[in-house]
Amino acid sequence: MKSTHIIKTLMLAGFLFSALSISAQYKLPAYQKFKLKNGLTVYLMEQHEVPVINVSAIFPAGAIYDGKQSGLASLTATALMHGTTDMPKKALDEMIDFMAAGINTSASKESAGLSAKFAAKDSEKAMQIISRIIMQPAFDTAEFNKEKKRILIGLEQRKESPRTMSNSFYEKLIFGAHPYGNVVSGTVQTVEPLTTMHIRNFYNNHYYPEGSAIAIVGNFKSADMKKMVTRMLGSWKSTGKKPANPANVSFAPVNGNNVLLVNKDDARETTFYIGGTGISRNNPDQVAIEVVNTYFGGRFTSLLNDELRVNSGLTYGARSSFQSYKNGGTFYISTFTANKTTEPAIQKTLDLIQRLHEKGMDEQALASAKNYVKGQFPPRYETAGQLAQLLTSMFWYQYDESYINQFEKNVDGLTVEKARQIIARYFPKDKLQFVLIGKASEIKEFAAKLGKVTETEIKKDIQ
Amino acid sequence: MIASAQMKPEDVKTFTLKNGMKFLVVEDFSIPNANMYLFYKAGSRNEHQGITGLSHFFEHMMFNGAKKYGPKAFDQTMEFNGGANNAYTTQNVTVYTNWFPASALEVMFDLESDRISSLSIDSAMVESERGVVLSERSTGLENSPWRVVIENIYATSFQEHPYHWSVMGYEDDMKNWKQSDLEKYFKTYYAPNNCVVVISGAVKMTDVKRLAEKYLEPIPAQPEPARVHITEPEQKGERRIMLQKDIAAPYIGIGFRTPETKHEDFYALTLLSDILTSGNSSRMNMELVQNKPLATMVQSSLGESFDPNLFLLYAVSADATKLNELEEGMYAVIRNIAENGVTETELQKVKNRKLMEFYGQIETINGKSDNLGTYELFFGDYKKMFNAPAAFNQVTVDDIKRVAGKYFKKSNRTVAIMQKNVD
Repeated sequence: MKSTHIIKTLMLAGFLFSALSISAQYKLPAYQKFKLKNGLTVYLMEQHEVPVINVSAIFPAGAIYDGKQSGLASLTATALMHGTTDMPKKALDEMIDFMAAGINTSASKESAGLSAKFAAKDSEKAMQIISRIIMQPAFDTAEFNKEKKRILIGLEQRKESPRTMSNSFYEKLIFGAHPYGNVVSGTVQTVEPLTTMHIRNFYNNHYYPEGSAIAIVGNFKSADMKKMVTRMLGSWKSTGKKPANPANVSFAPVNGNNVLLVNKDDARETTFYIGGTGISRNNPDQVAIEVVNTYFGGRFTSLLNDELRVNSGLTYGARSSFQSYKNGGTFYISTFTANKTTEPAIQKTLDLIQRLHEKGMDEQALASAKNYVKGQFPPRYETAGQLAQLLTSMFWYQYDESYINQFEKNVDGLTVEKARQIIARYFPKDKLQFVLIGKASEIKEFAAKLGKVTETEIKKDIQ
Repeated sequence: MIASAQMKPEDVKTFTLKNGMKFLVVEDFSIPNANMYLFYKAGSRNEHQGITGLSHFFEHMMFNGAKKYGPKAFDQTMEFNGGANNAYTTQNVTVYTNWFPASALEVMFDLESDRISSLSIDSAMVESERGVVLSERSTGLENSPWRVVIENIYATSFQEHPYHWSVMGYEDDMKNWKQSDLEKYFKTYYAPNNCVVVISGAVKMTDVKRLAEKYLEPIPAQPEPARVHITEPEQKGERRIMLQKDIAAPYIGIGFRTPETKHEDFYALTLLSDILTSGNSSRMNMELVQNKPLATMVQSSLGESFDPNLFLLYAVSADATKLNELEEGMYAVIRNIAENGVTETELQKVKNRKLMEFYGQIETINGKSDNLGTYELFFGDYKKMFNAPAAFNQVTVDDIKRVAGKYFKKSNRTVAIMQKNVD
C-alpha cells in the first residue's frame, strides 16, 4: 500500500485529526498496607462488584535461587499443593473443589506465588486452607513422584512447540550463566534427580514471612479481614532473614551478533526472536519506553505488524516486548514465518530497526501511541484478581500507587525529542542476538549472514 | 473505581433498530472504558465445499478497508482514539470486539457503520491477507498437536453437515477464494438483521441509542440467509482414526455426538463435563491422573452450538504402553456414572463451580458483553444468562445418570489417537 494513499484516506476520516485527547483518569482504589509482627506484608482492598475474594501471595523463592538445580523452585511451588501436615492431598483437593475455589501455586524467574479465588461466604475456610498451604506443606513423597513423572513428560512435550520454547532459548542466549538465564521449568536432566528432600530444603530456605507479602482484594470488610489474616498467618515463624538476591550481579554484555539456530526437523515455519538486553523493572523511563514500544511493536498498527503482516502477509503477527526483572531484562522482536520466507521476514525486521532509529516518531505517531496506551490502561486493573497481582508486584518491585496514578501524566510528558533519546538509548540496533527455531538445513546458510552461529536441537535440553 | 452492586437482568437495556439490528446495553462506570461486541450469525457452518474457511477469512477482510475508512484506516483510527480490537470466528458465529475509552464511543459507531454498509474488497489486500491466514493456520499446526486431532474427529464424526471441515478451511480452498465469493458472502451475512450488538461500559443508554440510530439504522436489512438445512444422520458405530506425529506422549481425543445448546439436556451435559474433568477431585482426574497415573491430563468440553455437535474428551498418555488402559479407563468412568449415578455432594460441587463461573462472567465489562451476546444467540435470550445458576441448580443426580447413559455409547463416538508410531 502506498503511503500517500493512506494519508489521503486518513485526512478524510473525520475523527483522526480532531484535537482529541484521551483522558481515562483511572485512579487506583483505596487499599491498606500493614505488616504482621512476623514481618509478613499484607495488603487489603475492598471490591464489592461480585461476592468473591481474590488472593495473591508472593515469596522470595523464584528460579534465580535454583543454583544448578533448574526447576527446583518451580517444583517446590507446585508441591505446596500436595497436602498439608493436617490434610492429605486428596482431602485438600476435595475441599477446594467443593468450594469451587481456585488455588494455584507457581514459581516464576524471580519469585514464587500463590493465587486464589473463592466465594466471600467461604472466606474463613478458604483462608484457613491457604495459610496451611503456605505454612505447613506436607511434601508427600508419593504425590511428588507422580507429579515429577507428569512434569518430565511435560518437559518433553514443550519441545514440540517453538512458541513455548523460544523465550527460554532467548534468555539463555542473552543472560548466559547469570541466574536470569536459568530455565524456570527446569530440564529433563535437572528435574530427574530432584527429591522431596531437595524440595523441603528449598522451602525451608526461601519461604519466610519477612520476604513475603499477601494481597487480599474483594468482597469483605477490611477490619474483619485484618483480624482474620492476623489470626491465620500471624503464627508463621519469622526467621530474621533478609532475602538475598543472587541475580544482583551484572551479566556479561552481549558481544557481537550471535545466532542460536535451533533445529526442528518437522518445522513448517521459522519462529524467531531478535533483540538484545533490555531494562530493569524500576527504570525511570519505563512508561516512555512502553509508549515507544507500542509504536514499534506493541499493537496491531505498529511498524512491525504493519510491515510483516499487513503489507506483506509474511506472518500472522509480529511484535516487540521488554521483559523486565529487578536487575535487568531483555528486549525482543518475536514472530514466525513459513520456512521459505524466513530471509525476507528477518530482513524486513532488520530494516525496521534501522528505520526506528533513523526516523524516530513524528507528532502524529506519538499522539496515537499515547492515546492507545492511556486508553488501554484501565482494563489492566479492572478485576479483583488483577488488583491483587498489582499489589504484590508493587511489593516485589518496590513501587507504589503513584505508578498507576501518575501513569497518564508520565505518558503525556513524552515528546518527539525525548522519544528519539529513548530509542537511541534503549532499543538495540547493533550487536543483535537471534534465536531461530526451524528447519536448520533450509535456513542455515542465511543464519550465517546474521552473525556467529551456534547450533542446537529443539529436542535437546537447554544447557 | 465505584463499587457497584451485583448486576441484575434489569440492568440490561435493549432496543431494536428498524432494520432489525438488536442492541443490548449495560451501563457500567466501574472503569472509564467501554466495549462493543458485534455478533454475526455467520460461521463455518454457513459454508460449502469450495469456500471452506471463507467465514474466518472474511473476519480478516472486515479490517481491510471500506468507503470512508480505506485500507488500514480502520485500525489506525481505532488505535489513534485509544481503542483496540479483535475478532474471532467459530463454526457458528463471527464476533467483532472493540475495547475503547468511553469517550471514543462515537468513533466506534462511525467505523462499524462504514464497514457494515460499504466494505470495499481490495484485490491486493485479499492477496496479502491470504498469506496472513495461511500463516495463522500454519502456526496453529506447528505449535499444538490438538488442532489436528480435533479436526480429524470432526471430519470423521460429521460426514454431511458443515461441521465436517475446520473453521480455518482446507488449504486448497484457502488458496482459491474468489473476489465474487467474498462479495456474495458479505451481502448475505453482514446484514444488520443478522447481527446482535452488545455494549457495556461507561456509556449512557440514551447516547448509544442516538448513535445507533444515526450511524446504523440507515443500513438496509437483507433477506434472511438460507437456513443450514443439513442434519447429520445418526452415527451407527464407533469410528476410529490413527494419526502419526513425532511426539513425546500419545494424545487421545474422543468425540460423542450431543445435541445443540437449546436442547433440554445441555445443562446436564455441561455439569457432567465438570464432574468428569474439572478440578483434581473430578472423576477422571482422580482416577486417571492422580491415582493411577495413566494420563498427564484429561479435559472435556461442550461448546455452544446452533446444531447438534460434539462432547469432546481429551487426554495425554502418561505411559505409551498403557494407552489402551487409559482409553478403557475413560469409558469405565462414564459407564460407572451411567450405571451408578453420582452423589449429591458431587453434583453440588459442580453447581457451586457454575455459580463462581457466573460471577467471573459478570466481573468485567468484557465478560458481560461476551456472555450476554452468547446467551442471546445460543440460548435465544440474554436473560437466560441470569437464570443459568438456577437452571443448573434444577439438574438432578438422575439427570446426570440419564445423560451419561444416553449419549456416551460406543456407537456414538469417534476416537482419534495420535502417536509416534502407527502401523
